[in-house]
Amino acid sequence: MNNLAIIETILRNRHQFFAEIREGVDLGQKMRAMLISVIAFFALYGAVMGSTHSLWQALGSAVKLPLLFLATLVVCSPTLYFFNLIFGSNQSLTQNFTLILTAITVTAVLLLSFTPIALFFLLTTSHYQFFKLLNVGVFTTAGIVGVVFLSQGMRIVSASGKEGARARRNIVRLWILVYAFVGSQMAWTLRPFIGAPSMPFELFRQLGGNFYANIFASIGEILGFFTVR
Amino acid sequence: MMNDRQPSRVDQMLDLLVEEIERRMRARTSAPAAEPPAVEVVIPPVEPPAQPVGPAKSLAETQGGAEYRPPEPKRRPPEPKPEPEPELVLSSPSPSHATRMMGRLGLGVLVAIVLINIPLNRHGTTLATAMPDRATLVIRDGLVVKEEDDEEIYVYQDGHFRWISSLDAFEHYRFTWGDVHVVEDGFLDRYEIGAPLHVLLKCRTSPHIYRLESGEKRWIVDIAAFEAEGHVWEDVRFVGCGYLRDLPDGETIPPGSGPPPQP
Repeated sequence: MNNLAIIETILRNRHQFFAEIREGVDLGQKMRAMLISVIAFFALYGAVMGSTHSLWQALGSAVKLPLLFLATLVVCSPTLYFFNLIFGSNQSLTQNFTLILTAITVTAVLLLSFTPIALFFLLTTSHYQFFKLLNVGVFTTAGIVGVVFLSQGMRIVSASGKEGARARRNIVRLWILVYAFVGSQMAWTLRPFIGAPSMPFELFRQLGGNFYANIFASIGEILGFFTVR
Repeated sequence: MMNDRQPSRVDQMLDLLVEEIERRMRARTSAPAAEPPAVEVVIPPVEPPAQPVGPAKSLAETQGGAEYRPPEPKRRPPEPKPEPEPELVLSSPSPSHATRMMGRLGLGVLVAIVLINIPLNRHGTTLATAMPDRATLVIRDGLVVKEEDDEEIYVYQDGHFRWISSLDAFEHYRFTWGDVHVVEDGFLDRYEIGAPLHVLLKCRTSPHIYRLESGEKRWIVDIAAFEAEGHVWEDVRFVGCGYLRDLPDGETIPPGSGPPPQP
């Protein structure tokens, strides 16, 4: 329960939480609590997504969804750290890491809150493209709120270093774009998370195509323009 | 002089009210929101209320009888003690409402996931997959389809649907009946049909290779013909010579190459 209590602190009292990160208070404890919560919430949502296909897909997605976010975190956090460093930040990599993990935690909590909705549509419709786009919408919403938290956190945590503050704000904005691109490509690499109804279970699907083209194709199929190949 | 005018009782009460409001607002701004009682802005109860700013007068004066005393300098309420910096320790060690809610939601979802994945029948249908498949098929390599009123089975490969020419080929390529999606008649008309997917049969004691088509074995005359037909060695399936001998002979590949040898 204490691991969940830290999430409540983030949601209710984020300024204090960010101030603690700025001061470097209990970063290890915070990271551990957030990691446990994040893995649990993403695993639950992943299992719901995969349940549309089979039990194996549910288990596979329960493992892959936390992996997706944590791998993106590991890939992207050094960029943010070094660029901030160049523009006068005095944060450590651990502080940066904790901040990004905070954003991911918020995303995970929102995904958990969307789980009943995903379950409802899972049980009442079996249209694969619809369910896929529904989940893209859910992830986009949760992700945007997460990076808004990150942006606020960055402002608070780097408040002490006024030098280059504006440049650092721009860096955070650009980094969020990079994070989104890396995240979507990571999701494409680790797919399937839902599992196409006409395909047997596969842990990873062969590479080819890209995330954005597939989303446009799904929208096109839902609108009746063509069939996804 | 302003003090010559006697204020009414209402004025006095309003002054007291304003004073009290100011005191409380000061207390509120100097104390953390969570714990207002901790603010130490206290007006001693025995003291008369502090002289209000401006035209307000003391209570004794307004009640008429007493001589005028110059207004005492305004008593400033004791300075509130500086509040200690909020401790940088995570609050709420005990689970509060939102924490409990998250825990219960997570547990509920976990139970739901288990429930919807319990097989309901011997075919392994679960509640999560019980909805009739109204989804459009995702056309990808490996998709196996069969039109409703047609016995022939096709597999999608490299942008074409290819006819699977025999049960041996079907088994050789490790398809199962569960892979076959029944589609409406005319579905395949919308797609290009590629070369049929054959299986080549060979037994270990014979050098000859045969292609199985419509239940007949067709002898492939030489390597040139083998390659010209686009076959690769992975297409060759080893079977028993007896099984191969029992299959009726078809036209040779290429046609007209004489009577086929028996394996």
